Amino acid sequence: MGSLDCPFLVCLLIVALPLLSFAVIMIFTVNRPKLSLAISLTCSTIPMLLAWGLFYLLRATTMAKPLITQVNWLVSDTVVVPFGFLLDPVSLLMVALVATISWLIQIYSIGYMGGDPGFARYYADLSLFAMSMLSLVISSGMLQLFVSWELVGLSSYLLIGFWYEKFSASEAGKKAFVVTRFGDIGFFMGLVFLTYFMKDINFFGLGIADINGVAIASKLTGPQITLCALLIFCGVCGKSAQFPIHVWLPDAMEGPTPVSALLHSATMVAAGVYLLTRIFPFFAASATAMSVVLVIATITLLLSSTIGMVARDIKQVWAYSTVSQLGFMAMGLAAAALGGGTMFAGYYHLTTHAAFKALLFLCAGVFIHHFGTNDFFVMSKDGGRKLAIPMVTVVIGALALSGIFPFSGFFSKEAILGQLWHLDNKLWVALGLFGAFLTAYYTFRVIFVLLFPRPDDHPVWGTYYVREAGGHGHASPGHEEAHEEEAHGASGHTTGHGHEEHHGVPWVMSFPLLVLAGFTLVLGFLQAPLEKFLLGESHPHEMNYLLLILAVGAALSGIGLAWLDWGAKNATWQGFIKKTPALENFFIQKWYMDHFWRWFLNTFIYGMFSKWFTYNDRRVVDGGVDAVAFSTIGSGRLLSFIQTAFLQYNLLFMVLVLAGVGIYLLMGR
Amino acid sequence: MLLFNQLQTYLYLALVLFAIGLYGVLARRNLIAVLISVELILNAASINFMAFNRFLAPHPAVGQVITLFIMAVAAAEAAIALSIIIAVYRKLKSVNIEQATELRG
Amino acid sequence: MLLAPPLGLLILLFLKEEQKFLIRAVSLVSAGITLGLAIFTFVTYDKALGGLQFVEKYEWVKTFGITYFVGVEGLNAPLLLLTGIVIFTGVLTMWELQERVKEYFIWMLALVTGVFGVFMSYDMFFFFLFYEIAVVPMYILILVWGSTRKEYAAMKLTLYLMAGSGLIIPGILLLYSTSGLYTFNMLQLHAAHFSPWIQKVAFIMLFFGFGVLAAVWPFHTWSPVGHVAAPTAVSMLHAGVLMKLGSFAILRVAMFLCPEGFQYWAQLMALLATTGIVYGVFVGLAQTDLKYVIGYSSVSHMGIVCLGLATGTVDGLNGSVFQMFAHGIMTALFFSSVGYIYDRTHTRDIHELGGFSKIMPVASAFFITAALCGAGVPGMASFWAELLVFIATFKVFPVQALLAIAALVVGALFALRVVQNSFFNAPNPKFVHFEDVSPFLGLPRMILIGALFLFGFFPQFMVSMIKTSVVPFLQGM
Repeated sequence: MGSLDCPFLVCLLIVALPLLSFAVIMIFTVNRPKLSLAISLTCSTIPMLLAWGLFYLLRATTMAKPLITQVNWLVSDTVVVPFGFLLDPVSLLMVALVATISWLIQIYSIGYMGGDPGFARYYADLSLFAMSMLSLVISSGMLQLFVSWELVGLSSYLLIGFWYEKFSASEAGKKAFVVTRFGDIGFFMGLVFLTYFMKDINFFGLGIADINGVAIASKLTGPQITLCALLIFCGVCGKSAQFPIHVWLPDAMEGPTPVSALLHSATMVAAGVYLLTRIFPFFAASATAMSVVLVIATITLLLSSTIGMVARDIKQVWAYSTVSQLGFMAMGLAAAALGGGTMFAGYYHLTTHAAFKALLFLCAGVFIHHFGTNDFFVMSKDGGRKLAIPMVTVVIGALALSGIFPFSGFFSKEAILGQLWHLDNKLWVALGLFGAFLTAYYTFRVIFVLLFPRPDDHPVWGTYYVREAGGHGHASPGHEEAHEEEAHGASGHTTGHGHEEHHGVPWVMSFPLLVLAGFTLVLGFLQAPLEKFLLGESHPHEMNYLLLILAVGAALSGIGLAWLDWGAKNATWQGFIKKTPALENFFIQKWYMDHFWRWFLNTFIYGMFSKWFTYNDRRVVDGGVDAVAFSTIGSGRLLSFIQTAFLQYNLLFMVLVLAGVGIYLLMGR
Repeated sequence: MLLFNQLQTYLYLALVLFAIGLYGVLARRNLIAVLISVELILNAASINFMAFNRFLAPHPAVGQVITLFIMAVAAAEAAIALSIIIAVYRKLKSVNIEQATELRG
Repeated sequence: MLLAPPLGLLILLFLKEEQKFLIRAVSLVSAGITLGLAIFTFVTYDKALGGLQFVEKYEWVKTFGITYFVGVEGLNAPLLLLTGIVIFTGVLTMWELQERVKEYFIWMLALVTGVFGVFMSYDMFFFFLFYEIAVVPMYILILVWGSTRKEYAAMKLTLYLMAGSGLIIPGILLLYSTSGLYTFNMLQLHAAHFSPWIQKVAFIMLFFGFGVLAAVWPFHTWSPVGHVAAPTAVSMLHAGVLMKLGSFAILRVAMFLCPEGFQYWAQLMALLATTGIVYGVFVGLAQTDLKYVIGYSSVSHMGIVCLGLATGTVDGLNGSVFQMFAHGIMTALFFSSVGYIYDRTHTRDIHELGGFSKIMPVASAFFITAALCGAGVPGMASFWAELLVFIATFKVFPVQALLAIAALVVGALFALRVVQNSFFNAPNPKFVHFEDVSPFLGLPRMILIGALFLFGFFPQFMVSMIKTSVVPFLQGM
């Protein structure tokens, strides 16, 4: 293979342009929003076009044989880090998808972020994100992937904490970075172990294709693969917000909404699942690891769906829904690995989810931008349903999320459930169906509340606020505060051009909605061609009607229940979960995971190690040093008592000593 | 053998002078007296030089040169020492060595 | 290159205190020449040829075998570059200094002369001489221009380092006298095979002696205190360059001359280094003074350097020297931006500061970049260094490596905690009126950031350079 050929240069361009845009904006044009916007848009449009071009041109060739071009980035002795690009169907599709979504978000943000004082910085951060995500998707080696992985984390930190004056935003950014870093350390350790094991069989550089090949050829022993796979899965857990380190994702909604759409639903969090598919053969080689993945993914799915049922912030609902869908994808992949299936189902759900979840977030963004609040009850009261385009598209997105025919979610969910069905233990498919049911329920809770507002004097408002005042723990005051501040942060720019508020939705914001809605409608019917493209052959799709009925049934019953609770004329606007207050409180407190981590941090990190070590440093180490110093001074003081300052004693002493020396010398002779 | 034509005589003389000087330096409490005693010690050394020069040295001029040197140095030293003594007197209103104990630990 | 700072120093001696601009200009020019020469050596060093280049060698005292013997090789070239960058930016950073300008720059240039001397000397006598030249001006610089408990800090630092020297001299003399060669030339001494016992004793003496300057745990307490007290550019030089002297000397003298001693003590080195890494981040987590925080992060990062040294593998040494470079640039950037803020606000308490991204976006951006670099974000030089060290360490000391990697999480928490408290959140109304960094004062910081990113994106420049001498170095052991 030629070291620098055409696809390589194109890939390099795709990655380098956004980086260039980041650098230029940060250094030169940070005070000139218009120019920065132009730079950033140019540098995201070209990569998008290039990505689709690559996809189109190489779709046939790469199906036969992946295209790998790489150069050496760093060559130490046994550590070799290659820099290069791996183009195969998986990465080609993903790179096109990522480039497109980030381009759409950039367009959308023109409207959403217009007038914000940090406009240029915002676009710089978006560019940085685009660069790192694109490089992650097409990187050829694990170490390069890790580098991009960390950069993605960095840009997410910058974007979440974008409104840094808000304490909650900067806190959320910090939390996101540290928590994902926690997982990344596992990832890194996995890579370190992997270099160590691979060294024995002369594979340097950890090429993705290499480690898949090694795993398939079982050159490493089972425990070795299991160990590495589990450690790498820690990284996946962090980035894709799986239990128990999912806690950062809901807080990450403090960032601007387009960011939530871009990073925390469509692309960044999908990176974890993408990594799972990327080295799927490697993971699949270890059944133990995949069982762990399956368990964790299932816990994640149920946990986040239940929390989604009680959240009041529209972005929180979508955030938990994202967590649950990521869990669902991981379940699908794990099940496929255990049941001998392919990674198609998980990957397919990843693509469809990227489209419809970005759609849902962007719709939410329109509402938030318009009403200046995150609380969808308030949105509903203020007439949310009058915004036609977002309302229609949000329903489309919701239908897709719930898995209703003919929207894309239906097909991909069905594919995953199909994988689960193949497992011997039918518990998993039951749990998957239960998850689908919950998903449909909480999704349509939002939709029905938005669609059917109650008049202001309606009794439900009373009970609603009473319940609020009754106070369910510590979460809600913080919640309220967050709303207010979010409104505040948003008002920073809404006041800038308030005239737009009552003129509907600007086209820059509705255009991406329509495009994504189009994707959501179309992607479902592309299942067979996609499968053929990704796997090389299309499996005859045997229809499992029982499962189909079960899946649709679960979704429909979820919607039905939501209708009874929230939609129907005489609905009480109180979830069925209200009937078991203990459970409801448990969900509202987010299964106490936040409390757990906070307690863990306070007790062990701050309270124990940090405090002890500091004390030790002050008292023992430094104290010891000071003690040595003081004892030196003290001993000097003791000796000084000999000094009488009587000159002639000194002289006498000198003479005596000299005489002694003289006698000694004489006797020595 | 004449007494003054022997090396030992001069060495004993020098020894006596040195002993007196040493005693003075160690026992007198008056700074001036101490200074005079130091001069005695220097003179003892000079006499030694002259004596060795007269009886043993191959070249007759070396010892005399050094003696001249010692006289010059002694003059300089006396000047400096006196000025120190005057400074001490100004500060302490006394030239008694027992008063000068500021360096006591 | 060695001559430029003393020349500037000489000219400064003849200038009057009133001619402030001229004084600064002269210092800047001499620092600039130094930087230029450092870059020149770095670029023109023939990597294919390897070995010692740019050698200067004069007999000095023949009887004792003392030779003035300096040269450049892959190990010290990055550090020379580092020193050049830091002194140049340091002079620019202290442009606003008003008090005793002349003396300040004289001492600073003296310090730098010593540093260059240490890095380039291949004669143990000159090595030690320059080492002391580098250490002594620090006392005066901190004592006169410092802040916060400066007398205590200066005294502590000097006594600590003197105590270290007290171990170094016997160590050097032990090697000198037992070699039977009557030479201080390190290359010749290297050929003399010392008995294992001598090596063990000499190594541990030299390790602890130089380790004091490298802030090896538990001899680190002077460094945060010293950083806090020192004026900005001195902190930059101190943490950025001076601490590297210690680790470089461990590599150059202790490991080079006593390979068997090194192998005997490597376990201990790794243990102390790991303790330092973990300990540094945890203690840093509890600090509230910006400079203390940076000081403890230095302890942690220098631990990584020592850990790399302790592995005794090519990867480890590459990473270690790379980390010396990266950490030097990074801390210089840290102190440079903190210094700017402190000069304006006269506080470094992270609870009192706040929202500085709003007040001084550029100054904060510098600090945040440094903090992220410290947290090991890729794209910046220290990431690669840490990567190399950790992978290498894992092969030799797996447990220590895993502990050190785990400390990275706390490291991230600790960096971001500081950033959040002092640069994000609502601005403190007390400080809103302060102006941001002017482009001229921003220049030195930009140079530092540029260096961080340059070697972050193209680590091969650095690694290939270091490797030219690490490989023969280890073969010689």
